[in-house]
Amino acid sequence: MRALIAAAVGAAVAVVVALVAVPLADQNGPTTAKPLLTSAPAHP
Amino acid sequence: MRQRLALVLVALAAFLAVLGVMLRAWVYPHVVAVPDNQYQAVVLEAKDATLIDYSSMTAVPHQHVTIVETLKGDAAAAQAEKKRTGRDVVVWDALSYVLGNDGKRLSAIPEVYPFDAHTQDPVHCCGENVDGDALSRVGIEYKFPFDTQPHDYQYFDPQTRTSAPIHYKGTTTLDGLTVYYFEQTIPWTRVPFPKAMPAGVAITPDQIDKLGYQRWYTTVRKFWVDPVTGAPINGEELHDEQLRMPPSSGMAPVTIFSGDVRIRPDYQAATVALVKKERTLLLMLRDYLPFGLPLLGLVALALAFVVEGRARIRAARTPQGRAAASVADADEDGGAGDVPSAQGAPAAPL
Repeated sequence: MRALIAAAVGAAVAVVVALVAVPLADQNGPTTAKPLLTSAPAHP
Repeated sequence: MRQRLALVLVALAAFLAVLGVMLRAWVYPHVVAVPDNQYQAVVLEAKDATLIDYSSMTAVPHQHVTIVETLKGDAAAAQAEKKRTGRDVVVWDALSYVLGNDGKRLSAIPEVYPFDAHTQDPVHCCGENVDGDALSRVGIEYKFPFDTQPHDYQYFDPQTRTSAPIHYKGTTTLDGLTVYYFEQTIPWTRVPFPKAMPAGVAITPDQIDKLGYQRWYTTVRKFWVDPVTGAPINGEELHDEQLRMPPSSGMAPVTIFSGDVRIRPDYQAATVALVKKERTLLLMLRDYLPFGLPLLGLVALALAFVVEGRARIRAARTPQGRAAASVADADEDGGAGDVPSAQGAPAAPL
């Protein structure tokens, strides 16, 4: 029984960590992927 | 004490397993986003191109054309849209600036391209336009979505102001990266004249229209795309434009521009280096941690079984051993042993 409670606590902490991480992440922070411009080249 | 350690390991195992799943299912799609304030430039070249000479209205071969493309994220517009709708948006102010042999401007076409920062779905706001013409894009432009899939996409063509499929043609390797190759063909289509005419040409697009001249265009657009970031790491365009006269004139079409446009090698190398760096971050969130953390959780769970099993074996050996273990645990735990003592020690708190 105590093992189940321990697992539930561990899982709950993981969910909280994940939920908190999203609003804390800045759109311009390090987890973003910079897009690249290599297209639509010629318009003379 | 050993039981406490086992419980901690069980909690850790659950934490790691659930965190791995949450990273993939919740954090990755919500956190990975295109920055709204980025500035980037790339230089492309068309060597040995053919270019119109407006003074003689003839096509001149062996020209060197340079295209400078810039993207500037309009952070203020993106934040205003987010405040209004709650959606993470990117608004790109793009400019294609084309230079001839002499370094003088041939054309400059500005664009405003708003899109969803996570999915890259088009967003219709913030003065979306191409060369001042308001429109509503369908599909993608410039960049492919994160986690690009090997299938066709709708790709917006700024010359025709319409979208058409860009076809997935296969997977290949480029500069050590596995990339998807996409190709789009735009058939000959009548398109508007750019509002910024070549330097030194006094005539305006409206005047050209009134004379009955038409600008027609066709292109084959090629992209080699890193599927993790959705960033093209190389691009090429086989681009042809013609000036077509009124049928009554009896004049043959004149080539405005014909050339094979490619990214300048130094910019292509810089692009590859940037993609390699960025894709590692994405892979950490998408693959490495979501699969690695549950594996660590399994290790923690196995350790928990080992610790618990050894404690039970030790306790079960002999009555004396059980008593000794009980006393030792009582000493370590401040009175609470992990197994019932043969001599009547307090029961374990499990």
